Amino acid sequence: MSQDYTRFSVNQRLQHIFMFVPFIILVLTGFPIKFPESQFWSVVMSAAGGIDKARVIHRFAAGIMILDFSFHILYVFYNLIKKRPSLSEMHLLPTKRDGQNIIQNLKYFLFLSDERPRFHKFSYIEKFDYWAVFWGMFIMAGSGLVLWFPVQVSTFLPGIVIQIAYVAHSDEAMLALLAIIIWHFYNVHFNPRIWPANKVWFKGTLTEEEMEYEHPLELEEIKAKKETL
Amino acid sequence: MSTTICKRSLFFILGYFLLTAFSVSAQQADAENCNLCHGLALFGIATPSDGLRSFEVTSEAYKHSTHRNVICRDCHTDINAFPHPEEVKKVECSKACHISKPFALTGYSHVQQAEAHAISAHGSNPEYSDEKNAAHPDCKYCHSNSFRNEIKDEVLEKSSQHCLRCHEGEGLAGVILHVSSHSGHRTAEASVKVVKLCSSCHADQSRMKQFDVNLTQVAGYERQFHGKALKRGLDEVANCMDCHRNHLILPADDPNSSINRNNIQQTCSSNGSCHTNATAKFAVAAIHSEPTTQNNPIIFFVEWGFIILTAGTMALLFAHILLDFGRWVGDTWMRRKEK
Repeated sequence: MSQDYTRFSVNQRLQHIFMFVPFIILVLTGFPIKFPESQFWSVVMSAAGGIDKARVIHRFAAGIMILDFSFHILYVFYNLIKKRPSLSEMHLLPTKRDGQNIIQNLKYFLFLSDERPRFHKFSYIEKFDYWAVFWGMFIMAGSGLVLWFPVQVSTFLPGIVIQIAYVAHSDEAMLALLAIIIWHFYNVHFNPRIWPANKVWFKGTLTEEEMEYEHPLELEEIKAKKETL
Repeated sequence: MSTTICKRSLFFILGYFLLTAFSVSAQQADAENCNLCHGLALFGIATPSDGLRSFEVTSEAYKHSTHRNVICRDCHTDINAFPHPEEVKKVECSKACHISKPFALTGYSHVQQAEAHAISAHGSNPEYSDEKNAAHPDCKYCHSNSFRNEIKDEVLEKSSQHCLRCHEGEGLAGVILHVSSHSGHRTAEASVKVVKLCSSCHADQSRMKQFDVNLTQVAGYERQFHGKALKRGLDEVANCMDCHRNHLILPADDPNSSINRNNIQQTCSSNGSCHTNATAKFAVAAIHSEPTTQNNPIIFFVEWGFIILTAGTMALLFAHILLDFGRWVGDTWMRRKEK
């Protein structure tokens, strides 16, 4: 009998939604200023109600995203304190096995092996996604706040910080957008094995077959635990 | 109650006064009847050297123009006889004309502006050759002779918004004075036009090469937030003149310059809606130049760091995606072959 396995709790799914909705709004209201002569972004800008409104919307969405990220940090700390997981139970940390998985996957891609790497709860692909957002949040929120309050920031930091923030905010935004559109969208949408979408962000569960294909080690562990009970 | 009535009637009287004042002076402007000939359509001459020269001044356009209150000979001073002399001098803006400043009753001229211009970076420099000095913009280069440009109500309205940026604290009286005095001559241009005007020289390598001026300033401005936001229609950002002043534009090493090291903080915070309470650290941020390893190494390397980081990351991710896709194509192809 096949059964469903919970992958993301309601809390985690909401964290994802409160991250990607502001992300889309931030892209739509920010990129028209990064590319002030682009016709495409002109259409987006007028849809957002012109630059005056777009700036307000941008800051509102940024506020929500920062709150969401702060909540996530607290959530991680709360779970660390409450559950006191061992290192091997912190599945998002990069490990030696990720390196081995990458090599095995490359062999598989090149038809040097017919065996796919067996992933645990998070593959190196998913870990990369997670830590990319982590790094991106610090860069974007940090530089964004500097640009939001440049005069106040300059009372305690040198002026070059404002210039660095200006470059970093614009360039990291590009990096983040490309990473999402190319990497994240391929892995959860455009990958022909996944197309049209991996619905786990909404449903929160994976079927046994999906678990067997994507997270066999985790499935093994879950089953082993059940037997010992 | 009585004060509101009083205020209202004051406004009414003021408005009536302004209306009549303008309509009277508009009629006075052609007191010498120049339009008898110059108002004729296609009025002009054809010479072998200059080709067609138009002398037509449509009275309708003139009535709505910047200089509608000024009689022709106030500026065209050497046209004193009829028929007019063949060679006449070019108009000089610093000449006093016969109109008075509204509410001030003093004579009006552009002398103040001309004097500021003369000592500015755009004025004549005795060390330069005549040719080099001639390359500087004179009054008319920036203030194009605009008697054919009609001043429309919506332009006036927008311009008075521009005035309010600086004159917020001076109250309504100040605004009325300002708008009414500006309505007599050319009003503040939209910021986009200011940038375009300054760029017409400062972004032109052939015009700038004889001067010791950094050519990257316009491109640098357009890379920064002020320039980008302006292109997207955010009118409140600084245009060239907001920081460099209009007539008294001086190089940064001049102690009187608005962008001198000691004055720049004041310049950033001077406009009510700009960076109020700007600190000295805030004001040193380079807002223009293209970063190089020499003038701004930190920003130069941050920019390149991001380019390399982005290109490198994308190359790796793309390679991974292509390989992954390739394996899927191979698998699908083999499965079909087996069938």
